[in-house]
Parts: sequence; C-alpha cells; structure tokens
Amino acid sequence: MAVVILLPILFGVLIPLFPFKNRAQMMFYIETVVLVNSLLVLCLLLNRPEQAFVLFRLNGNLSISFQLDGLGTVFAGIVSALWPLATLYAFEYMKHEGHETYFFMFYTITYGITLGIAFSEDIVTMYCFYEMLTLVTLPLIMHTLSREAILASRTYLYYSLGGAAFAFIGMIFILNYGATANFVPGGVLDPAKTAGSENLLLLIYVLCFLGFSVKTAMWPFGAWLPKAGVAPTPVTALLHAVAVVKAGAFTLMRITYYSFGTEFLRGTWAQTVLMVFVIITIVYGCSRALKETHFKRRLAYSTMSNLSYILFGVVLMSPLGLVGALSHMVFHAVMKICSFFCAGAVIYKTGRNYIHELNGLGRKMPRVFVIFAISGFALMGVPGLCGFVSKWNLAKAALASTHPLAVIGVAALLISALLTAIYMLTIVVRAFFPGRDFDYSSLDGIEDPGWMMLLPLVLFVITMFLFGLHSAPLIRAFTQLAAFVK
Amino acid sequence: MNAWILLPVILPALSGICLLCSSLRSHLHSSGVDVWNDLKEEERGRLHRFVGIVLVLTAVLALLAAWSGEHEVRLFELMEGIPVYFRIDAVGKMFVTFVTIVWVAVGFYSFLYMKHEGEERRFFGFFLLVYGVLIALDFAGNLVTMYLFYELMTLSSMPLVMHNGSKEAIMAALKYLFYSMCGAYLGLFGIFFLYRCCDTLTFTAGGSLNAALVSGREGTMLIAVMAMLIGFGAKAGMFPLHAWLPTAHPVAPSPASAALSAVIVKSGVLAVVRVVYYMVGTEFLRGTWVQTVWMTLTLLTVFLGSLLAFREPVFKKRLAYSTVSQVSYVLFGLSLLQPQAFTGALLHTVFHAFIKSALFLTAGIIIYQTGKTRVDELRGIGKEMPCMLWCYTFASLGLIGIPPMSGFVSKWYLAQGALQASVGAFRYLGPAVLLASALLTAGYLLPVTINGFLPGKDWKVRSGEENGIQMMLIPLAVLAALTILLGLFPNPLASYIYELAMTVM
Repeated sequence: MAVVILLPILFGVLIPLFPFKNRAQMMFYIETVVLVNSLLVLCLLLNRPEQAFVLFRLNGNLSISFQLDGLGTVFAGIVSALWPLATLYAFEYMKHEGHETYFFMFYTITYGITLGIAFSEDIVTMYCFYEMLTLVTLPLIMHTLSREAILASRTYLYYSLGGAAFAFIGMIFILNYGATANFVPGGVLDPAKTAGSENLLLLIYVLCFLGFSVKTAMWPFGAWLPKAGVAPTPVTALLHAVAVVKAGAFTLMRITYYSFGTEFLRGTWAQTVLMVFVIITIVYGCSRALKETHFKRRLAYSTMSNLSYILFGVVLMSPLGLVGALSHMVFHAVMKICSFFCAGAVIYKTGRNYIHELNGLGRKMPRVFVIFAISGFALMGVPGLCGFVSKWNLAKAALASTHPLAVIGVAALLISALLTAIYMLTIVVRAFFPGRDFDYSSLDGIEDPGWMMLLPLVLFVITMFLFGLHSAPLIRAFTQLAAFVK
Repeated sequence: MNAWILLPVILPALSGICLLCSSLRSHLHSSGVDVWNDLKEEERGRLHRFVGIVLVLTAVLALLAAWSGEHEVRLFELMEGIPVYFRIDAVGKMFVTFVTIVWVAVGFYSFLYMKHEGEERRFFGFFLLVYGVLIALDFAGNLVTMYLFYELMTLSSMPLVMHNGSKEAIMAALKYLFYSMCGAYLGLFGIFFLYRCCDTLTFTAGGSLNAALVSGREGTMLIAVMAMLIGFGAKAGMFPLHAWLPTAHPVAPSPASAALSAVIVKSGVLAVVRVVYYMVGTEFLRGTWVQTVWMTLTLLTVFLGSLLAFREPVFKKRLAYSTVSQVSYVLFGLSLLQPQAFTGALLHTVFHAFIKSALFLTAGIIIYQTGKTRVDELRGIGKEMPCMLWCYTFASLGLIGIPPMSGFVSKWYLAQGALQASVGAFRYLGPAVLLASALLTAGYLLPVTINGFLPGKDWKVRSGEENGIQMMLIPLAVLAALTILLGLFPNPLASYIYELAMTVM
C-alpha cells in the first residue's frame, strides 16, 4: 500500500534529476509512472488487503499507518482513474506554459499525497498528508510566477493553513475523547469520556468541519479557489475540481462518519449550523458563477457550489446522505474536469480567457464545445447524464431526513441547478450563436485540439452517459458502503 | 418484442443529429460571412428529400405504434427501481396523432419558408430532433421518463427559437430557457415528493398516491403539487411563468413558432394531465386550496392573454398572446377535475393545435411574401392572397368558437363542465370569463380578415402574390380543413376522450 503512495512521490522527485534527451522521453517516463501507479492502485482496490500497514510509529499510539476501506476505495478510485488522463492532457497543454520539469515533478508528487489521504488509517496520518497536500500544490498555483499567481498562492496558503489549524484542534480532541485515533465506521467517541462535555465537543466538531471545509471552498472560506484559477488548466481541472477539493470533502466524511460519529451529531445544533453554511454556499457559489466573466473562474465558482452539494449530503448524517454525497463526489469529478478541460482547450488554442471572447468559437472548435455543452447539461442535471443521478439521490436523502432545513436544501439544489443552466448554457449559446452579422474570418486558423486533449474529453463524455444511464450498480455499492450509518 | 415502437423516436432523432453534424462539419473550414445561405440548389433538393422521407416515415411509424394496440417497452433502469419505461395509453395516442399531423404539415411548409431564413440544415436537424423527443414524451410511461424527455424537449427546441441569430432572438431564447428550466425544476421538486409518497411512478389512471404515506403531511404534499402545476404550467404559458411565451414564439422562424405554439406548449398540458390525473389523482385535490388557486391562475391567464393580444399590434406577437390565453382554457378545464370539463380541455388541446399552427403559418406566408409584420399593415392582404386569408378566417372562427366550427364544441364542453362541477363561484365565473375572452378573441383575430378583404375603395390591388407558394399553402389548407372537419364531426373524438375521462376519474 505504501508503494503506490511512495512511488509517484519518489519518481516525481527524480524528474528534474533524470537526464532526459528530449521532451518526448520525459513525457513517456511520466506517463508510464502515473499509469503503472494507477494500475497498482486498481489491483489494490480489487483485492483489498485486510491488514493495516504501519509505516512508522511516532510515539505511543500515534502512527503513520494505512488501511483501505470502502470510503478510501471510492476516493482512490476517482483519483487513480483521472490522473493518467489529466497527465496526458497536460502534455499537450503545458507546451505553451513552460517550466515543464518542475510542473510535472509536483504534479506527480501530488498524486502520491492524495492517495495517502485516501488510504489513511487514522486521523493523524490523514492530517499529515493533508498538510503536505497544501504545501506540494502551492508551487503548482505559483507556476506562472506572475504577480497574480503569487498573490493567489499566498491566499491559498493562508486559507489552507488557517483551516488546518482548526482541523488540528479537532484532531487533538478526537485523540483525547476517542477510544482510538483510527477511523471506525460509526465514530470513535468514548461515551464515558464525553459525558458532560457534549456541547464542547459539538463546538469542536463545528470548528473542525469549518477548518477542513476550507479545502472544499465552503462559504466564507472559499475565496482562494477562484483566485487559484490562475494556475495552468491541468492544475485547476484536476486539483481544484477533483483531487484537492475532494480531499477536503473526503476528510469531512471521515471526521463526520468515522470519528465523531453521526449518532452523536445528528439532530444537534451543530448539524443545523453546518447545514446553514452549506445551503448558503450552494446558492452563493452559483450566483457568483453567474456574475463572473472569466471562463475558468466561472467554473471555479461552480465547483464551489457543487462541492457543497457533497457537503449537503455529508451533513444530512444519514446513510442516504452519504450515498448522495459519494455519488456526487464521483460524478462531479468527471463533469467538472471535463468542462475545465474544454476551457483549457479553448485557452490553449486561442488564448482567450473571458467569456465574451468566446463568440462564434463553436463553429471552429465544434468537438470541444459540443462536449462542453454535454458537461453543462450534466452539471445542470438533465436526466440521462450523471448529474441527475446524484441530484436525485441527494434530494431523496434530504426528503427522508427529518431535519427541517433539509427541504430548504432541496430547494437550494434546484435553484442552483437553474443558475447552472444559465451560466453554462450562455457560454454554449455564445459559442454557437454569435449573432447574425458575426465575422467568422476573425477566427481563421482556430481548430480543435489534438488527440491528447480530445481523448480524455471523449472518455469523460462516455463516462457521464454511462453513469447517467446505468447508475444502479454503483449506487448499490455505495448503499452497501453506507449501511453502517445508523 | 415491442421495441419497434421506439423507432419513431430513434429515426428522427438520429437523422436530426446527422444533419446537425453535417451542418457543423460544413462550417468547419468555411470562413467569411456567407455562412447563412451556403446551400446550393441541388444540395437543398437533397436535404428536402431526406427530411421529407424521414418525416413521412416517422409519421407512419408513430401512428402505427400508437394505434396498433397497447404496447409497452421497459428499457434499462435509469436509477434503482426507476426504469426508462414507455407505454402507449389513450392520452399518449391522442397526443402523438395531433403532434404528427401538425409536425408533418409544418415540416413540408418549411421547405420553402426556410429558404429565406438560411442555415436550413441546422433548422431541420433540430426540427427532426424535437419531433423524436416529442413522440418519446407522449409515449413515456412513468414520471421520470417523462421528465427526461421534457428537459430534452426544452433544450432541443431552444435553438429553433434563436435560429435567426439576432440579438433579440438570442435573448428571447435565453428567456425561454430560464422560464422552462425554472418550470422544470419546480416540477422536479414535486417529483421528489411524489417519489416518496406514491406506490409507483408509473402512470396509473386515477393516481397512485399512497394514502398511508401521505397522511400527516398533506400540507407539504399540496405545496409540492402546486409547485408542479406552476412548473409544468410554465411550458403551457400559465401565469405567473408565462412571460417567455410572447417573447420567444414571435422571434422564431414562423414554422418554428407554429410548432412551438401548437405542440410544444401542449407538452406542458400533457405533463399536467399526467401529474394530476395519473399520479396524484383527482380525489386528493378536489376542494383543496390548490384547486382554487389553480382555477384562479388559469382564468386570470385566459383573460389577461386575450386582453394583451387585443392590444398587441405585431401580428405574430398577437398570436402568441392568444396562445397564452387559449392554452389556459385547456388548463382551466383540467383544473375543474370533472369529466366533461376534462373532455372539453383535451378537445381544445387538439383543436387549438391545428388552429394555432394554421394561424402562424399564415403569418409566415405574409412575412415571406411581403415582409409585413404588423397588423395595421395587412390592409388588402385578402385581395392579394385570397386562399391564404380564407384559411386564416376559418381557423380564426374556430378559435373564437362560432358554431359549427371546432372551437365551439370544446368550449361547450368546458362551459358545461364548469356548470356541473362543485367549485363554488367558479361555476359561473369560469363560463363568464370564457365568454369575455371569446369576444376579445373575435376582436383581435377578425380585423385582419375584415381589413384584408375589405381594404376600402382607394386600395390598389396587386394580384398574383400567391403564385409559387403552393408548397406553403397546401399544408395551411390541410390544417384549416381539419379544423372545419373536426368542428362538423366532433363526436368520435369527443366520445373517445369522454371514455378516457371516465377511466381517470
């Protein structure tokens, strides 16, 4: 298990040291490493080892140890499926960005770290990898070294470290009040120890949740995410739509369902408070996306809102809620990485960053924009595409819950879907219907990108349809996974 | 195997997508401005043959599927326990039939009309695609399948609205999208609730609400139903989500406005029928505040629509307002929850489909031949194009409801239903509003006929305007003839619907 974590880290560090003859050789080396690692992860997921693996002990019962359970499988599955594709895409994209060696070094290391979060057996390990994730992705945001990029990475650093500090408090309390530091389905709090200090613990839980939620860009801690859109598109797409932000959502699932435990939390004021935050974010993210004129930033705001769909499922604190959250975690990963890659393809081919510059491009880059339209349909929840399935599951969970805010949450989901329809489809409409007297000669020479960019896109579209039309097996698996929640 | 009944869905949808792909490909390497009229004469001929064959084939298949007995097809499971499921029942049959007639007529009409709009491949691509989606919508056997095609219908008909690419058209299309999506999501909100409280999401005549599951939360359930009525009512142009209709329908090319106004708004009606009569059941709604609010909204829409149409100087916009008003006749009939009113409502659905498409086709011919769009410019038009204006006049008389034209029959049933229903003051209020609105209808439709035929002494008549547009006149004449025929012999259709009404109530 440690192999798959260490392999990309090790080989990533080695990238600058290798004497590559040319670019192609380096690409080949990186893709091989990533692909082999993904295959290893896949083998691991298929035959899950029963035993936990202890890398080393810090002191006493604190250790860095790995274990693979259902939740980790889901997250590791997403990450390992998307990383090789994103890397492939990055090869073509990064041609125009420069400094590829360092870029791919950090990019590959991040893969290992993210898997580390997925495989963590206890809260200490998870916390360590979580901090490392912040540090290792920082250079990726800074990549262009422009003033804007440096400011963005600084914002990212402050927000993340601040969040982690709160998360740290939560960790300490778990260590103190819990029976064990490990993640145990249903929670580890020891009733004997917690008696009398329930409210304190709830407060700590809220703080800890808010701390970790910085990574998922929950309002009001989400400002870093749109700013970080200055990073090269492979980073915004894979890290800021999938790996990093989903790591945040994953940690929140861990602390809610595996550390504090839903039995302890459900129906308390803590749940209400968090639900308010989540519902606000769902609507807030969408409205900001609607106002935003920068292409990638608009998608970033959309991510903010969609991540809160996941969190909405999490804070419902029921088996159905976890199912909804997991399904949206998987589906949103595919949908959003797809739309980001489309945005990246446009930027790569035309250098246009703002939405009003996209007029008429649909005619010159039809494949990219048709795919973008499909990802937009998926995000707004057109049935037959995967977004609808997760929305359905979340709504089902919300209506099954007795919490009074749950119905408002459903309304928020639908409002957000409406706004999504507008902010995604206005782009599509612009691209295909630029206006009657639009002069197409200004777009001469623009065409669809090469196969390295298109292949991932096509695969994503197939996946969206596949999950959209035939989700039952996956949802059944999630239901089994979530069965422990009482 | 019953899967063949999906052929009329797949065939036009696939052909439509092929056309769209070829349209995209042809533009890929063409630069320059003249992307609008890029079809050579022979290419156009080939396109027309292709579209014509697909249309006719689909129509035949659709009618065969609809009228060759009960069929059902269960495809894969979209979600746990919710299959994509098609079943042809009495309502579906009726809808498919009139959709097909209108669609084929409008399709043949647009061969000539679309010449002057350009981008024909894209237009016919979406036109065929929407046809397939509509048939699937009518065949849908459960709520989620219906919702699926409902959304697809919105998305695939939107490009028809913004076909001409002007700023106005695009803004109208976005407005259409916004309202439709708003409506669809309100509907979805209700579907979530129905999923919890119904035995099954499969359409069951009389409803499938489970009393045990509802008990204790009737209040929320009623709110959910209200949300669905308003939501699906958006497509049917019901107040308060009606504003998109007078904006979006007129800016579309005339055949598209005809299709939108005659058929696509009726999908809203179909959705409401499905929800009220096949999911929730009339028992649950009768006498509740939801019924009262619903009736009020529809009557308000009937009256306001007519009034706005009366005041509107732009011809196509006037017709669009008229749609707002007329479709709410249908919804009012449905809201009475009474068999006779139900019969009247569905009769009016069919009649209005033929009439309104005929009216919009007339407006299209006028635009095509003369470029005139305002009603006050239409003086003497009947001298120039008498056949066209006669068709228009017959259709208008039908809409006003002068016996023995078709609209009279449906309004008769509606009024009777209202008088027999136990709905308090609405028993009298309803027929009164219908009557007032009929007067207004006469007031906004007939001036065109009067000024058209009687331009006054000083009018210089140009004749021969009708030469060369037979391709557009024939579909118009067919539709107009249908409205007359159905008015003269309404009984088979009326008794068919009445039987249907008895099964759902």
